[in-house]
Amino acid sequence: MIYHTIYITMLILLSFMLLACLIRAVRGPLIADRLMAVNMMGTMVMVMIAVLALMLKEGYLIDICLIYAMISFLAVVVLSKVYIGIYEEKHHKKDSDNDHTVKGDLSDGNA
Amino acid sequence: MGTLEWIKIIIGSAFLICGVVIFFTELFGVFHFQYVLNRMHAAAMGDTLGITSCLIGLMIFSGFNYTTLKILLIICFLWFASPVSSHVLARLEATTNENLSERCEIYEDLDVLEQELAGRNMTKDVKEDRL
Repeated sequence: MIYHTIYITMLILLSFMLLACLIRAVRGPLIADRLMAVNMMGTMVMVMIAVLALMLKEGYLIDICLIYAMISFLAVVVLSKVYIGIYEEKHHKKDSDNDHTVKGDLSDGNA
Repeated sequence: MGTLEWIKIIIGSAFLICGVVIFFTELFGVFHFQYVLNRMHAAAMGDTLGITSCLIGLMIFSGFNYTTLKILLIICFLWFASPVSSHVLARLEATTNENLSERCEIYEDLDVLEQELAGRNMTKDVKEDRL
């Protein structure tokens, strides 16, 4: 019973913090702000899944937590690389045509 | 419940409370600072220390079984992954922001920075010698 109370309290606190993270993601003026808020939300959701796994006594939910960690990490890295590639593509279009062809290939490779 | 059970509950709850407090500090820092490179300090703290404290508390609650080992695996993975994602985010900001020099000092030439740091260290050594 006391375990159940502790888990429910944890879940309620974490859900309020998750809402605050969502506010940060909506208000953030820069792309990096939003990606950082999404990263924080992923961390809190991981803790929530782990708490649920112990509360429901279902061990396989921990596997889902591990997969969630990997996908959250992949999402942040891939989105950052995509935005860097888009920026470099726009930036290099101002240069001469020869530079554009060479560096355009490079930025595609980065993206 | 026996005494051991109560000790387990108290230690696990202490770790969980520690983790929640660190998450709250992270949120406070993220709303308090004004620029994303400052906010990143607070956000990276919760990604490593906060989730580690919470998961250690859950490991103590869970006892010794396969679930504990899997949670340990999550902690190990996050310790490798979280600094990398923070670094990539900082690199995104440094690449795409054209007015970065309004926010922080930028050294175009690394030799200048090294000379300045060496000068600071020398003056500090001189002061320590005088003291």
